[in-house]
Amino acid sequence: MRSNRYVLLFMSSLTIILGILLSLAATALKDRQERNVQIDMKKNILRSLDIPEDRSQKLTPDDIESLFETYIKTIYVDADGNQVESSDNPVYIKVVDGVVAGHSIPISGKGLWSTIYGYLAIEPDGETVKGITFYKHGETPGLGGEIEKEWFTSNFVGKKIVTPEGVPCSIHIFKGKVSSDNPRKYCLVDGISGATMTGKGVNIFMEKDLKTYGGYFAKIRQNQ
Amino acid sequence: MALDSKSKQAFTDPLIQNNPITSQILGICSALAVTVKMDTAIVMTLAVVFVISFSNTIIAMMRKWIPGRVRIIVQLTVIASLVILADQVLRAYMYDISKQLSVFVGLIITNCIVMGRAEAFAMQNPPGRAFMDGLGNGLGYGIILISVAFFREIFGSGTIFGYSIIPQTLYDAGYSNAGLFVLSPGAFIILGLIIWGLRTVTKVEEA
Repeated sequence: MRSNRYVLLFMSSLTIILGILLSLAATALKDRQERNVQIDMKKNILRSLDIPEDRSQKLTPDDIESLFETYIKTIYVDADGNQVESSDNPVYIKVVDGVVAGHSIPISGKGLWSTIYGYLAIEPDGETVKGITFYKHGETPGLGGEIEKEWFTSNFVGKKIVTPEGVPCSIHIFKGKVSSDNPRKYCLVDGISGATMTGKGVNIFMEKDLKTYGGYFAKIRQNQ
Repeated sequence: MALDSKSKQAFTDPLIQNNPITSQILGICSALAVTVKMDTAIVMTLAVVFVISFSNTIIAMMRKWIPGRVRIIVQLTVIASLVILADQVLRAYMYDISKQLSVFVGLIITNCIVMGRAEAFAMQNPPGRAFMDGLGNGLGYGIILISVAFFREIFGSGTIFGYSIIPQTLYDAGYSNAGLFVLSPGAFIILGLIIWGLRTVTKVEEA
């Protein structure tokens, strides 16, 4: 049987060698991975704003870059909704032929197992949801992971972020199916079976993010 | 490297006769999860083939020096490193597919086939032969994966590699995609049928 010293030496060398090899690989691949993540972000900003309208169209990274370049104007806003040079709160505005066609904001927060990242797009009226995407998360495939599927995100389109009286509210994922005589159905979406905790997490961070951009959307509604 | 008969057998055995999924019922979890479409099944197969063949080879190269007391840990370390490497490469070069595979590439380390071969074969055989065994087991796993994915995608989504192949006239006549095959129950059913079929052909029976 090998001596303790041998075992220690063997394990240390193995760990160090593998560690170095993996670090080298990770460093070498980092730039490509970064670019992939950026493209994915842009693809999702575009998708939340309904670009391209034909969802089955396959886009290359260059297509995405050029669509983003053409249609999206990025601005930064402060807590009151005024445009500033730079801040932690970007807004991606869809502009088609000089006309504003939508505002997309980043949303993110804790799901059940992971941080969920997405984009929420609002119509030029400042109160109707244009689209939503969830592009990065580590939720359970088939359960919480279903939030990224089109069948779920399409339920958000047309919902409102203000009550009929004009008070800001957030969209809530309901536990179960929203009945058609529910008076608040304009801001409720059917839940996903088996994904209650993920849904709860989304409700919390969506409300938080809508509050962050509350000033911005209020200004848009005012200027109607 | 001349292929001696033992190496050849190490390669061909696990393809059909001793297929890891159908004969030994190993690696089922990912066989169900990533077979909704064929492209994810193929990429998963490539990742698993890469991991098993190289982990087998590396462990076989080290086998005379690995202390017996920590051999499982050593195997785990090697396999885990290869899995991380595979995951990193996928994220760099096949980002969209890596997102669809999500956690399942990382879970290759839990796939019993990989550890099983490392312990049962790589520890007692020279590297060349261990590589062939890894290749054979990985491809045997892949054959089943791709077969399951083929049926699931055709019956569940009406496509192959994303291309719609059921003619519209059939849809108009009332045919619709069997959603069951996109879900786990459908995967279990197809896998069960394949295991039954292959075992009948190879005359493998439970003891």
